[in-house]
Amino acid sequence: MRQRKRMLEHLDEDIREHIARETQDNIERGMVPEEARYAAMRKFGNVTIVKEETREVWSFVGLEQLLADIRFGLRMLRKNPGFTAVAALTLALGIGANTAVFSVVYAVLLRPLPYKDPASLVVLNETTPRVGTVSVSYLNFLDWRDQSHTFSQMAAVRGVDFNLAGVTQPENIRGDAVSPNFLSMMGVRPFLGRDFDASEEKAGTPPVILLSYSLWQSHFGGDPNVVGRTITLDGRGFTIVGTLPPNYRSVDKTDVLLPIGVWLTDNSEDAKERGARGDMVVIGRLGPGLRLAQARAEMEGIAARLEKEYPGSNDQFSVALQPIRDALVGDIGPAILVLFGAVLFVLLIACANVANLFLARGASRTKEVALRIALGASRGRIISQMLTESFVLAFLGGLLGLALALAGIDGMSRLIPMDMLSGATVNLDGGVLLFGAAVVVMAAFIFGLAPALHSTKPDVQSELKEGGRAASAGAEQNRIRGALAIAEISLALILLVGAGLMMKSLYRLLEVDPGFRPDRVLTMSLDLRTQQYSKDPAVLNFWQQVLDKVRVLPGVEGAAVGTVLPLTDSHNRTDITIEGMALPTPGNYPHPDYHIVSPDYVNTLTIPLLRGRTFTDADHENAPLVAMINAMTARRFFPNEDPLGKRFMFGHPSAKNPPKWCTIVGVVGDTKLYGLANPARLEVYVPLRQNAANTMYLVVRSGADPAALTSAIREAVQSIDKDQPLFAISTMKELVSNSVATRRMTLVLLGLFSALALILGAIGIYGVISYSVVQRTHEIGIRMALGAPRGEVFRLVVGEGLKLAGIGIAIGVVAAFGLARLMSSLLYAVSATDFETFAGVAMLLALVALLACYVPARRAMRVDPMVALKYE
Amino acid sequence: MSTEEQRERIELLQGTLDLLILRTLLLGPAHGHAIAKAIEFNSEDVLQVEQGSLYPALHRLIKRGWISVEEGTSENNRRAKFYKLTPKGRRQLTLETRKWDKLAGAIARILRPGEQEGES
Repeated sequence: MRQRKRMLEHLDEDIREHIARETQDNIERGMVPEEARYAAMRKFGNVTIVKEETREVWSFVGLEQLLADIRFGLRMLRKNPGFTAVAALTLALGIGANTAVFSVVYAVLLRPLPYKDPASLVVLNETTPRVGTVSVSYLNFLDWRDQSHTFSQMAAVRGVDFNLAGVTQPENIRGDAVSPNFLSMMGVRPFLGRDFDASEEKAGTPPVILLSYSLWQSHFGGDPNVVGRTITLDGRGFTIVGTLPPNYRSVDKTDVLLPIGVWLTDNSEDAKERGARGDMVVIGRLGPGLRLAQARAEMEGIAARLEKEYPGSNDQFSVALQPIRDALVGDIGPAILVLFGAVLFVLLIACANVANLFLARGASRTKEVALRIALGASRGRIISQMLTESFVLAFLGGLLGLALALAGIDGMSRLIPMDMLSGATVNLDGGVLLFGAAVVVMAAFIFGLAPALHSTKPDVQSELKEGGRAASAGAEQNRIRGALAIAEISLALILLVGAGLMMKSLYRLLEVDPGFRPDRVLTMSLDLRTQQYSKDPAVLNFWQQVLDKVRVLPGVEGAAVGTVLPLTDSHNRTDITIEGMALPTPGNYPHPDYHIVSPDYVNTLTIPLLRGRTFTDADHENAPLVAMINAMTARRFFPNEDPLGKRFMFGHPSAKNPPKWCTIVGVVGDTKLYGLANPARLEVYVPLRQNAANTMYLVVRSGADPAALTSAIREAVQSIDKDQPLFAISTMKELVSNSVATRRMTLVLLGLFSALALILGAIGIYGVISYSVVQRTHEIGIRMALGAPRGEVFRLVVGEGLKLAGIGIAIGVVAAFGLARLMSSLLYAVSATDFETFAGVAMLLALVALLACYVPARRAMRVDPMVALKYE
Repeated sequence: MSTEEQRERIELLQGTLDLLILRTLLLGPAHGHAIAKAIEFNSEDVLQVEQGSLYPALHRLIKRGWISVEEGTSENNRRAKFYKLTPKGRRQLTLETRKWDKLAGAIARILRPGEQEGES
């Protein structure tokens, strides 16, 4: 370092000295002094380069140069505040949108899961052609675990609900009953206390429980001595043996974890009935070196054997395996990827715009560059200096973008329903920041390199000689700028097509008749779990009291209870046997969704009654069993006859299950139980008084704003049982809206991004055309001097812009044709190549391009030929 | 345009120029101009080195420790930097000379195969 300073200190002096000596020599050889000096300098060569290269020998130059370049870049940016503001803002939009969307991509798809070796964790479900993926029966799980060799471990996870009677409000909490090896298999250690013990797998296990971190904090104030204390759930005490770590993550919200033995104690019939499949998944860890495909092959074999062995419960049932990441990502994956692609396009458009700005400015700097090259700066040196300038700008844009991303993440997390993220937290963390930095670097290269290469092209030096009007360089520059504008238009078109298709899908989807009128209906869930409701009369009594009290509340037009609400993810399905039908194999029985409802249910939801009657209070315990079916069931099983008076029974007839025939008394409309986009299924309805149920949705139709009834209903319910929680409170309209939330989020963001793309693209065309008008002022002046009418000049300019737009639209349409297919899983009732959308978007873009050309074209029309000609 | 050509030439000459500088300094310390003159003189003006290119080369050699530099006064009492061969540089010169001979011999054999055969 010191040597370097000493060495370079006298370099100028040394060189001067050297030239002086050579001059002296030349004089001695008989040259006149001036000639001698020139000869000496010629012989020495380019002093600037010599100095630069000598300095480069003492390598620190790199850093020094960089700092100088950054200073220079900052100076240039300060000198052109307008340029800097527009460029930085454009970049900020691109970078900000990318960072914000990537934060979701990262949270959902990339962030390491909080498990040991998550890649070898597999989620297993059962599957049957009549329904699709279904829950696992506990007995099947036991056989899978015994017979499988590809899995080193397997654990069952059974969702359970509890009523937690609190100090203030009773609440419903959710937990999982798990095999004792579950946590150790996942690689999760309790934050406090102990893991479950192998002995806690059997029925008869004393009630022990692990609290989630948040429940521990909210209900026990984070008490470090919580282990050993008791929590009262469903009116019975559970001993707290520990708490879960704060980063514990599961597919559903988890408030508590308990050993499966506790669940088996309370649900002994589920543990004996192989056909009972209720809210249970199995998670397995693949043995070392084994792959999912091997496990799938083995498990399908095991399932096939079980199907043969237990046809009554397993006919037509196989097994579905998926990596745990896929299970956690759920349905939101494709939407996120489409959005990520879209923001990348926005970034590219932003870069193209900034590159255009740089080129325009580069044009005015050509002379500066040419001069520097003539003075001995090397091309690489100037390129690296210009790139540094781009980096400084990109960095500026990145900082602004980060602020935008912070705001954007906030907005997005409001657009995405939390349960759709299945426990993923979206925030700006290290990974996301790293991505943001990478985007900044990439952007700087994309928008900086072309202008830098272009304006340092060797032939640009002719600029100096030609007095700053090199026609060829200008033409090439226009080509580059034109190409950039074309690229922007095509990218914008692709985005607009995507947004257009989404909009049409969502519109079509919201036009779908859900089978009921969602307006002015409030829904909430009630789960009677305590001991006092273990007998039917108490349960029926409770529901009757609730309905009686709620019905008379002011503003209530109707109230009913039912076990299953459309558009939620609670479903009850069972096999039925229709009287007189030919008995199929066990796996091919009709498998409808069944609703247990109070008499007013279909009226309250406004499900149309197509034939017969609805239930009445006369359909009670001692009356003949009755049922209603939906239109689809009627069409399927009674195509050419009147279904009224026909009978069916639940389950398969056998000696153990003698027929209990339900007579069909009514036919009602189909409802979209599984989402607006999914076809209706078979449904049957039975009256509550003949089939008591503990878990019900309360459905209330209001005369005005239904949400306003919430507290009155809560008071009414708690006047009957103060410890009974009401949860999942939501209007029917919100349920409909939530059921399309992913699509809506995709539409909103795609719409936003394509609007951004449209604006940037318009600015791009505007910039190119106005620049070209300025360049052609001279030519336009001549044309007008020679008598060209103003209208022709206008057409000339607009024609140039429309040509660019036309090419851009053509390329964009072809590209969109290919790319739109990628989002077909997000579309509903719209083809990915929908003609209307493509045509509409192309027209829109052409119109916007026309507008963008209008202003410069007007300016061209006003060119004064005299002024233009004098301009040179 | 000229910029690029100059660069190429310097790089082409780099190794050779280093060798010539070392060889010149074997005769004793010298200042920059004198080294340039000596190279021109000894090559009978065949090697027209751009004198400026000497300086990056000198600094490179200093950095590698093959030559050292000291302040002094020249024959006509002018202040000057004198460059001097170090022991390390002396060893390097032997090595480079051997390499050069080998290379020159090899190239000669390729360019004039007939003569080579005649000699051997």
